[in-house]
This record gives sequence, structure tokens and C-alpha cells, in this order.
Amino acid sequence: MMYEYFKNLESSLEKKINETPKSPNARKKYSLEVARIGKRLYSGKDKIAWTGIGVPFDILNTMGITSCFVEFVGAMLASTGASGNFIKEAENTGYASDSCSYHRAILGALSQNLIPKPDFLVGTTLPCSGGLAVIENMARKFKKSLFVLNVPQEDSLQNIKYLSDQLKDLVNFIQKETGINFDENKLKEGIKKTNKARDLMIEAYNLAKKIPSPVDSRILKDFGIVTALMLGTDAGIEVAKAYRDEFQAKVNSGESGVKGEKIRLLWIQNRIQFRYQLEKWMEEEFSASIVIDELNDITWEKIDVDDPFTGIAKRIISIPFNGKAEKRIEHLKFLAKEYKIQGAINPCNWGCRQGTGERGLISDGLKEIGVPVVNLEIDCIDQRNFAEGQVKTRIAAFIEMISN
Amino acid sequence: MYYLGIDIGSLSCDAVLIDDTKKIVASSVVPTGAKNIEAIKRATHEVIEISGILESDIKASVSTGYGRERVSNRIAAITEITCHAKGIKEVFGKIDVLIDIGGQDSKSIRIDSNGRVIDFAMNDKCAAGTGRFLEAMARALQVDIDELSDLDHGSVGNVTLSSMCTVFAESEVVSLIADGVEVKEIVKGLNSAIASRTSSLVKRVAPELKGLSVAMSGGVARNNGVVRALKEVIETNITVYEKPDIIGALGAALFAMEKSM
Repeated sequence: MMYEYFKNLESSLEKKINETPKSPNARKKYSLEVARIGKRLYSGKDKIAWTGIGVPFDILNTMGITSCFVEFVGAMLASTGASGNFIKEAENTGYASDSCSYHRAILGALSQNLIPKPDFLVGTTLPCSGGLAVIENMARKFKKSLFVLNVPQEDSLQNIKYLSDQLKDLVNFIQKETGINFDENKLKEGIKKTNKARDLMIEAYNLAKKIPSPVDSRILKDFGIVTALMLGTDAGIEVAKAYRDEFQAKVNSGESGVKGEKIRLLWIQNRIQFRYQLEKWMEEEFSASIVIDELNDITWEKIDVDDPFTGIAKRIISIPFNGKAEKRIEHLKFLAKEYKIQGAINPCNWGCRQGTGERGLISDGLKEIGVPVVNLEIDCIDQRNFAEGQVKTRIAAFIEMISN
Repeated sequence: MYYLGIDIGSLSCDAVLIDDTKKIVASSVVPTGAKNIEAIKRATHEVIEISGILESDIKASVSTGYGRERVSNRIAAITEITCHAKGIKEVFGKIDVLIDIGGQDSKSIRIDSNGRVIDFAMNDKCAAGTGRFLEAMARALQVDIDELSDLDHGSVGNVTLSSMCTVFAESEVVSLIADGVEVKEIVKGLNSAIASRTSSLVKRVAPELKGLSVAMSGGVARNNGVVRALKEVIETNITVYEKPDIIGALGAALFAMEKSM
């Protein structure tokens, strides 16, 4: 069923792109690559791995492993409108209804045998222990080996060495679990592609900072976190280039992503993943645009192709979600200034301790630089747990406040 | 000319008519019921009847409240947060913090000296601590909701109720009744639960209340017991307008006047 879904999605997107090759198509190219990853995960032919967030997908890609972080599945189920049944299934097996719905959705799908059996699993200790617990559940169910990357929080030479040694152990683990031999030259080629995609993404983000911004509120939704799955591949470069080119063309022609852009907003953490026209409503009603998401940023230096494990270790440690809230808040302040935003929206995803636990610190931190925050207290995955009227009132009042 | 503000909430629909001098010439509060369009018509009809004007004398109207988009012939729909801030500024002058507890929402609003909203916080998902909560508790106690206002008189405050969930709190009330606990103590417990929940909203927009003026609006502000309990918890005086329900509609009427000039 899932294989057919991704296959159909792939062919319909290919058709649309081919029909209008000169139209803006960055988002379609991105979705096409996502569909291809989904298809490979469910093909039954590829070597696959389920992972946590922050895993070095370039290492996995260059070793011929199709891999994906588990939260992606929760988001995908929500976007297709199917998450409710799976969440209910997870609750039936004892998961608390106030735990993270990203994780409940995948656990429900797991119990319904809708998750393909991996060759191995890779967990990370960031950004949360809930995600790691899901991967442990999967490893137990599939009776497959799990490798856990213990990611240190502080950026120090000692910690970088500690993590890069673990990355080398990960490579040995993958060789042992799959029988695939590690090829250093392939990794070097992959890192060159990672660096190229990085440069293009930085260019795209810099263009998004322009006033008015060439982005609308939807085009960069989930972009940064999901494009990580394509690192080390030509597809990653193609998608990043499509974004850069589309934004450049708009900037050159003076076209803004949102007509008459008045309000520039920062979205904190994850977007609402189920089909809901919040962004469109904000654009039409208030000429307000989400020009930047917290998860859309490059926080790492170019990776040295002759020392890839050190560079990748630095990249993983640099993720703003890794470590103290203070690191995250400094990053949010940086984004707010860079993108000249007037307000930030924090969904405070239900059940996410980082989403809700750091709520006050984030509000206070951004307030220090004159950026107000509205906390929505919503569930980004479980539509059953979503009150539209309250959300619209909060956002409308927030925009009225900013406008005054 | 006259200006109309309509606040269509989950429990009540409030209408305020003002004249060119911003004077309130008529106000009306009617139950929203299941058909909010009917409630809007009824409230509008009432203020027209009370004032004795013609509908054509109304130059502009602005709507607010959760059903604000349902009001026809409006020149704008503005959130209740902005409208309550506007309304309270009109009746009391300078107010720093406004607590608005309506049918299904409670809000704390920080206001600057010009009556503009500079911060706000709303209740989390549950309706605990709102008008719906009080309605459910009145039902459990088998009293009219308006009677709740002073039923806590003479209590010693020895009952603690859940402030987290309306359903749990209702079950608790039923159990307390079965245990023979006096109604005044149960009501005091309810008021304290609402006050506890609301005070955290207040602290979010004003961590330090010393030197700040605090007012309350919305239907729950008519409940003296809740206001008393809230004063105790936040250790600050709270000013309540004689008709706290109509503050949002008043704000909307003032916006109608401003926007049509």
C-alpha cells in the first residue's frame, strides 16, 4: 500500500514537473525526492535503516543505505490524514495520550505492520529521549541491531573526537549488519556533494532574508530537516539548486512570495503537519508570511573531505536543539535578526517536552530583542487534538498586536 | 450617527451601541445558543429597540469574539483580545493588566498606556476555569449559575478541587456532595481552583504586579466569589466594570467608530 502511494506520488510529480519545466518547481522537486525516498523505503529491495534525527545521512547514502528518521513517518501519516487511526492504535497499546504524537503515530503504524523491516537502526540521544525510545521499540519488534550515537552537548575538541570515533564505529556496525564494504572514496565524493548542497542552501536562505522575501509561508516548510536525508547525493544538490534558482529569479524580478508582504514571522520548531490552510489564511487575511523556520538553517562549517568524520561530528553537535535551551534561544535570536522578523509563532507541540518545556525561556529570550512570541499550545500531528477557533484567535490577536 | 459592536462568544452574544461622543446608548447580552446568527440578530435588535434608533442610523459595525466572522454588514472583524483592551481603556482609563474570562477562554492581556495590547496569554486546551466550567459546576450543585456568585460566603476554605480538568472537577464536586460537604465550601473550592489557574495566566504577562492596575472583564467577572478568590491569589485589587460582559462589544463599537472616520 505505502509503496504504491509513493510510486503514484513520484509519477504524478514527475508528470507535473515535465509539463511545466520552466515554472517555479522547487517545492515539487523537493516533494519528488521525498517520494523517491519513501518508495525506496517500502520497495523491499533496498537496504534500509530507521534512524533518529541528526544521524549522518551522507555516510548512510554513500554506503547505499536508504534511511529516514522516524519522526518523518509521523509527519507523513499526518499529511495524508491517516495519523489519527495510528495514534489511536498506539493509545490502545498503552501509550499515554499526552505523549508526543509524532511518536505515537509511528508506534501505531508499527503495531499495524505498516513500517518496513529495516536492516538495522541508528538512534541518537538528540533531540529527545522519546524518539530514541521509539527506535528501541522498533529494534525489539524487528529483532534488528540498534546503534546509538551518544551526542555530546558541548562543542569541544574532546567531544568532537568522541563523536567522530563513534561515527567510525557506526561504519563498522553497518558493514557488519549489511555486508556492504565501506569505501572511503565514495564517502569523499559524498561529502563534496554535501558541501555543494550546503552552499546552495545557504544561498537560498540568504535570498529568503530579502525584503520583501521571495518565500511564501509554505515553500520552506520542513525543508531543512528533510533535505538532510538527501545529503551526500546528487538529489540533495538538485533540490537545493532548485530552491536557490527559484528564489534568485523572484528577487531579480522583484516578486515577493506573499503579495504585499507586511508581517514577517519566524516559526519555531515543527510546522502543523496535517492538511490545514493556516499559512494561506495568514497570508490572505494579514499579508503575513513565515519567512523562516527554526529548523531551516545551516549551523555547520564546510566538511573537510580528507577528514569527514570530524566535520560530520561538528555538524551534529552544532544542531541548536542539542544541549541547553540557551543555545537554541541564541540561535532563534540570530534568525530573528537575520530575517528581520516582527514576531514568532511557537506551536508548543502537545507532548513535546522541548516544545512546551522551553516555552517560557524562548518567549523571554526573544522578548529581549523586541520580538514577541505567541504560544499556540497545539498538536502538530493529531488533528483530533486541535481547536481551530482558539488557534485563529491567538494568531489574529498576535498579528493585531504586532501591527499596532 | 451610531456605531455597533457585536461580541459573539460561545455562551453569550453581546451588543453595544455608542454615539458620536463614545457614550453607550444601549447594550444587550443574550445567550448564544446553538444558532449564533439568531443570537447576533437578537442582540442587534435589542440595542436598536432600547435606543429607539433606526437600523439605518448605524454608520458602522465591528464584530469580535469566536464567531466574529459570522457577523454580516461588519466593516471589520477584530479579536476579542484587542477589543477587550480597547473597551477597558475607555471605561477605566489606564489599566495595565486585564483578565477576561469568557465562556470557553480565559485570557490575561497586558495593555500599554494607549490601550494597546503588548502581550497576552490564553488558557491551554481545557476549558477549566472558564464560564463553561462554572456552568458545569452549577449543574452539579443544582443551582442557577448566577447564584454561585455569593454562595461561598462564610466558608473556611477547607476544600481543594482539581484546577486542571472540568470533567474531573465535576466528578469531584459530585463526590463532595455525596460526602455531605457544605455547598459554601465546595463553591469556595471552585473559586480557588479558577483563581489558581487564572493567576498563572496573569503571571505570564505580568510576573510582578506591584504598582500595576488590574481589571477583569467577561461574564465570569460577574461572579463575586471568583473575583474575591482571584484577588486573594494575586494579592492585588481587581477593578470590575458594572457590566463586565459588554467590554469586548464596547471595544468593537469603538473600533467601528475609528475605522469609519
